[in-house]
Amino acid sequence: MILQTDTLSLTLQGNRLLHDITLDVRPGEVLGVIGPNGAGKSTLLRVMAGLLRPETGRVLLDGQDLFSMPPEQRGRHLAYLPQDAPAAIGMSVRDVVTLGRLPHRRTASAKQDIAAVQQALEAVGMRAFADRSCASLSGGERARVLLARALAVEAPVLLADEPIAALDPAQALTVMELFNRYAAQGQAVAVVLHDLALAARFCTRIAVLSEGALASIGTSSDVLTDALFAEVYGVAVRRCGEVVVPWSLVSRNRVL
Amino acid sequence: MSRYVLIVAVLGVLVLALAILSLAAGPAGIGVLQGLSDMLHGRETIAATIIGQIRLPRMILALLVGGTLGLSGAALQGLVRNPLADPGVLGISGCGALGAVLVFYTGVSAVWAPALPLAALSGAGLATLLLLALTRGGTLVLVLAGAALGSMSAALLALTLNLVPSPYASYEIMHWLMGSLSRASLHDVLIALPGLLIGSGFLLGTGRSLDALTLGEDVAHTMGFSLRAVQWRVVIGTALAVGSGVAVAGGIGFVGLVMPHLLRPLVGARPSRLLLPSALGGAALLLAADLFVRLPVSGTELQLGVVTSLIGTPVFFWQVWRLRGRPV
Repeated sequence: MILQTDTLSLTLQGNRLLHDITLDVRPGEVLGVIGPNGAGKSTLLRVMAGLLRPETGRVLLDGQDLFSMPPEQRGRHLAYLPQDAPAAIGMSVRDVVTLGRLPHRRTASAKQDIAAVQQALEAVGMRAFADRSCASLSGGERARVLLARALAVEAPVLLADEPIAALDPAQALTVMELFNRYAAQGQAVAVVLHDLALAARFCTRIAVLSEGALASIGTSSDVLTDALFAEVYGVAVRRCGEVVVPWSLVSRNRVL
Repeated sequence: MSRYVLIVAVLGVLVLALAILSLAAGPAGIGVLQGLSDMLHGRETIAATIIGQIRLPRMILALLVGGTLGLSGAALQGLVRNPLADPGVLGISGCGALGAVLVFYTGVSAVWAPALPLAALSGAGLATLLLLALTRGGTLVLVLAGAALGSMSAALLALTLNLVPSPYASYEIMHWLMGSLSRASLHDVLIALPGLLIGSGFLLGTGRSLDALTLGEDVAHTMGFSLRAVQWRVVIGTALAVGSGVAVAGGIGFVGLVMPHLLRPLVGARPSRLLLPSALGGAALLLAADLFVRLPVSGTELQLGVVTSLIGTPVFFWQVWRLRGRPV
């Protein structure tokens, strides 16, 4: 399934949050969404997930308008992993991951549900923790449980908002590899990232947002140019092979 | 048999046993079966009158009011994702009581008896509508709005008591506010039954939505569940059930707070799994409390609401103690 945004614009209380954004997330790819704080990355993802209605423009899932789709159908086609989720008080890991099967309550058998939950738990390496209470987990473990919940939906489109923010380098790599494997099965993944090195390494394409508008979109070598870093982030970078390291500020005015 | 089914079965048997005990307990030594059989065959014996006019209404109301209180507590806790939520906490019971006291105070209920329950229903319903109007989304706002409603109803109840001209009337109001089923009649059952049953229907249907809501409003929405829809269901269901309950039993608090708390360790924290056991547990608790107040401990019969509050307050403190230091 392909998720497209068509000339999306959104203004809330006089603030222009998104402006004229047209892009697509294709089956088999991981699209990284990057940009400075406040550039509109999370807002864009929320619009793409059907949580915020754009003022103008449309979001299309396989050509069908997302906002006129029956909610249950949308729930099966699109999984959303927010930046911060509430602590599911007292629930076990398996209970939380099983919630990912709720959109399938009329379309899947109990057997399919159990298999999907097992697979999701295994994918994030939490199978051994299945019967533990979520309250007893570390921040990183909880982030993986919530990711497993999103994977258990088995949706053709997965939208993840900073899924690796709470993770150490090894776990961050594991999760990015997981997204690649997910995409390799033909699913479309869009993921908001702050880590430019991981974005460059793992994303098929990268979309750069700046002040609510799409500054650039393409492969990492096309997009992550010195000029773009100076323009969008206001930083000069140094390169070490594939790795890009923000090194110094170009213009102090834009940060302060 | 799964653990959940076993717990539901045990609670069901407990409710049944307490219901039978409730029919059998009383100062008049009559045979329950004889009384029931006389009643069903239309024989006007003393046993039939005691069972049909006194004990059966009392048992039915204890069962249904307790059940709906437990159920609405579990549903409200799921909705606001806070183990401290309860019809009392959200001000619904208080506004129901205020409605009833107002018609009592103005004397309307003396002229037309059904005014009392109808006013309690309206109070709970108005509280519900106000909650919905104040709550555009966020559950924190819902809890705060509930606290404001609770304070308002308490203040207006105090004002009414303050203005009541006769000490007898103020004693009657105080007595009613403490909650009791000792004067329950078949008429009360008929008045409360529709609200209790329809309200329960609304609440029992919210399980999956409440489950989805544990992941947050955004994720629930992306999984196809509407927060507004589940808010409406829970609040309308609670207003119907709690309003009808308050109308016939007065102020009975803490059942909705206690039952989910006691059952969560047994059935797990998934809201859908708590609804039915909390309803059964609430019914068992109120039946047991109503049996307890009938024990000839002292000269006077204890008020039912006082007993449930004495059971509930330590649980309330315990919950607050556990929540200390946790970020809001």
